[in-house]
Amino acid sequence: MPEKKPKPETPATFARLPKEAPRLGVYICYCGGNISDVVDCERVAKVLGEQPDVIVARTNMSMCSDAGQAMIEEDIREHKLNRVVIGACSPFLHEQTFRGTVSRAGLNPYYYHHVGIREQDSWVTHDDPEGATAKAIRLMNAGLAKARHLEPLEPIRLEAKKHALVIGGGVAGLRAALDIAERGLKVTLIEKTPFLGGHMAQLESVFPTDEEARPALHELIEKVVHHPKVTIYTSTVIVATKGCVGDFQVQLRPVARGVRGVAPGIQAAIEACPVEVPDEFNYGLTRRKAIYFRYPGCHPPTAAIDWEHCTLCGECAKVNPKDIRLEREMTTFQITVGAIVIATGFQPYEPRPGEYGYGEYPEVVTLPQFIRIMAMAEDAGELMWNGHPVRQVAMIHCVGSRQVPGVHEPQPDGKVNDYCSRVCCTATLQATADLRRRFPQIRIFDLYEDIRTYGRGHEEYYRQASLSGVRFLRFHTEQGPVVIADPTGEHPLVVKVNDYLTWGEELEVPADLVVLAVGMMPGPIEDLIDVLKLSPGNDRFLLEVHPKLRPVETAVTGIVLAGTAQSPMNIQESCAAAEAAASKVAGLLSQGLVELEPFVAHVDLGRCTGTGACVDACQYEGAIQLETRVIDGKEVQRAVISPAICVGCGVCVSACPNRAIDVQGWTLAQYEAMVAAIAAEIPALVEVEA
Amino acid sequence: MGSERKPPQTKVLILASLSGGYRGADSVGQLHTDYPSNTYILPVISAAIFPESFYLNSFEQGIDAILVMFSGTDSPFKGSAEKTAEIINHAYALMKERGIDTRRLRLVAICTVCTAAFLREIHRMEALLEEIGPVSAELSASPAPEPEPQPA
Repeated sequence: MPEKKPKPETPATFARLPKEAPRLGVYICYCGGNISDVVDCERVAKVLGEQPDVIVARTNMSMCSDAGQAMIEEDIREHKLNRVVIGACSPFLHEQTFRGTVSRAGLNPYYYHHVGIREQDSWVTHDDPEGATAKAIRLMNAGLAKARHLEPLEPIRLEAKKHALVIGGGVAGLRAALDIAERGLKVTLIEKTPFLGGHMAQLESVFPTDEEARPALHELIEKVVHHPKVTIYTSTVIVATKGCVGDFQVQLRPVARGVRGVAPGIQAAIEACPVEVPDEFNYGLTRRKAIYFRYPGCHPPTAAIDWEHCTLCGECAKVNPKDIRLEREMTTFQITVGAIVIATGFQPYEPRPGEYGYGEYPEVVTLPQFIRIMAMAEDAGELMWNGHPVRQVAMIHCVGSRQVPGVHEPQPDGKVNDYCSRVCCTATLQATADLRRRFPQIRIFDLYEDIRTYGRGHEEYYRQASLSGVRFLRFHTEQGPVVIADPTGEHPLVVKVNDYLTWGEELEVPADLVVLAVGMMPGPIEDLIDVLKLSPGNDRFLLEVHPKLRPVETAVTGIVLAGTAQSPMNIQESCAAAEAAASKVAGLLSQGLVELEPFVAHVDLGRCTGTGACVDACQYEGAIQLETRVIDGKEVQRAVISPAICVGCGVCVSACPNRAIDVQGWTLAQYEAMVAAIAAEIPALVEVEA
Repeated sequence: MGSERKPPQTKVLILASLSGGYRGADSVGQLHTDYPSNTYILPVISAAIFPESFYLNSFEQGIDAILVMFSGTDSPFKGSAEKTAEIINHAYALMKERGIDTRRLRLVAICTVCTAAFLREIHRMEALLEEIGPVSAELSASPAPEPEPQPA
């Protein structure tokens, strides 16, 4: 590493104004009776008005109303207030409103503190107005204590590259890329495999419209490929990133395709290849060569070499020496982007060997495999599988989903998949409908725990299946179906199940094909999680900051989620999530400037002794570093925060032995003051609480 | 009755993460479900900011119980759940040394809609406080050690 030059000492890592003596304004909202029906707001104002530093203490019927806000603004100007504390509804509702209020009056917006006394007081203490009033006083008193420690803060402003990176070339990635590009931003889309389209390309139709899958996908791909703002790299992965929102420097490593252009005569080269491997497009049901197209009509329309299996024998190149080059390695290159969309998708659950006979009997297949079997089947005559006609099919739901510890085998990480994969019920019933339509003579048995056809139009598949004679059998998790060889030999298999629709009767369903409705698992993206410092949840899917209020943002500002990298979703939901991600990216980058909340770590250089404990504790690379500085003529190490990378989690705060780090706006001193205020003897409360 | 003095009201501090417990508390409010008024909820970005001494000092100040309502493994911040659990474990050791019943401090995972779990934890803590009383009795039974001299 190049040696860094020591920087001259600076007073702090964040500009601060001189401290003034606190002049507090306290405001208690009636919330139209929502608070004042239980809390004696006038008494709260009176008690707080007697507290040190409080200049005004007022109530109002609706503090968020224009009149309420005008009153606060006027007080700030007239009484030269420099701190404002408001007791009202949840801060999630009106914190931003009141920040605007104090800001309009010329006060730094972070000189305001909000105390929730509706959801967390008056609404939960209906029968105890005295207690509710005392609680409001203590909570507001804690708010005053915090306010005395408030410091002016400024949003973090960063220049932003108007360029986004989308990781993943499935439907969510394509949708996100197109939507971002349509908003005028540059997009780079990378796909780790040689072809675009993801799992959607392996479907024949999509629910709930039964629209053909690949034409719809190809229409989307065409738009993305031909969009002037989009650059696509297939066979490309991320190897490293640096920087932060607005300025992520991303190292990309492409792998050579091995084939150039449309390459006339490439079919002869493919036929010349002596290597055959299971074809992942058909989930291993068929085989392909080591030089291959994913499927007829795939994008890009150029064959690719599967370097993992290619033996470099050169047979293909002998047929087409002009267009085939057996050189795998390419040079790593760097792009700089303002935001990153993670659209890495899912992988179907792979049943463990023996699970419902999977891997033991060739007649046990997964739902994705069954969809491919149907895709490859001729419409006329019988459906054949493993050399015999299919007369009875048993579909089993919830394979690899909604698992129960102690009942199901855990995954290698020791956890079972206890989540619902959401998509498989409707997908199974759609496959059932397809089977019924094309091969009406086949008897179908549907074995389920619960049918969760939750989306618009999904229940119709269930209704149609019921009407068309599909027989539904319901099992309980702890008594799941058992698949065995048919002892009579009439059919290859028998599925034994206790059917709770007939009060637990043990039934035996002879079957020529057993279809396991496997759930979704996140794609294998451990390397990406590591490189981008993402947080997976307990279910291993990537975590958003908040499922409802910030549903596509990760804790790393500027990195957003799209599609099934986040959780099981169907195509419609994946596209909606991708559009949300694109909106978020456009909102972040379109101005060329990113503005972030200032709630990030801050180092008190007067206390920092350069122990490095904060650097060791921090999980976000580059958020905090030790830098060499010169103090009193000596070179010393001091912690320095990168505000744009820091997520404000505060892990460094507790790690520092010198209390030299705090999260701005949420400092330890503020919490200590609040706790002291809650615990304090308040003379006016003695009678109430005695 | 007039001469009978009520026992001093206990105080339960709830440190609730903004991505979990604090919104869970809001959800309970929206259900208009009552719980005792001696509960004081403070929002925290992540409870990982509090060193173990913070908990001990809070008890010394007169807080009788602390519920740390974090987001558990669903925390959006990498490593913060593990760090919080580690700190709470250290805090238990300090509490034992100081003669404070460790049941007064509980780390619980509460999500934004965990209303039942939120109420259960509060009622469980209230029941405990009814059984063991305020922290002041434990603190006075076990005087604090003399503070070590600080370097000048």
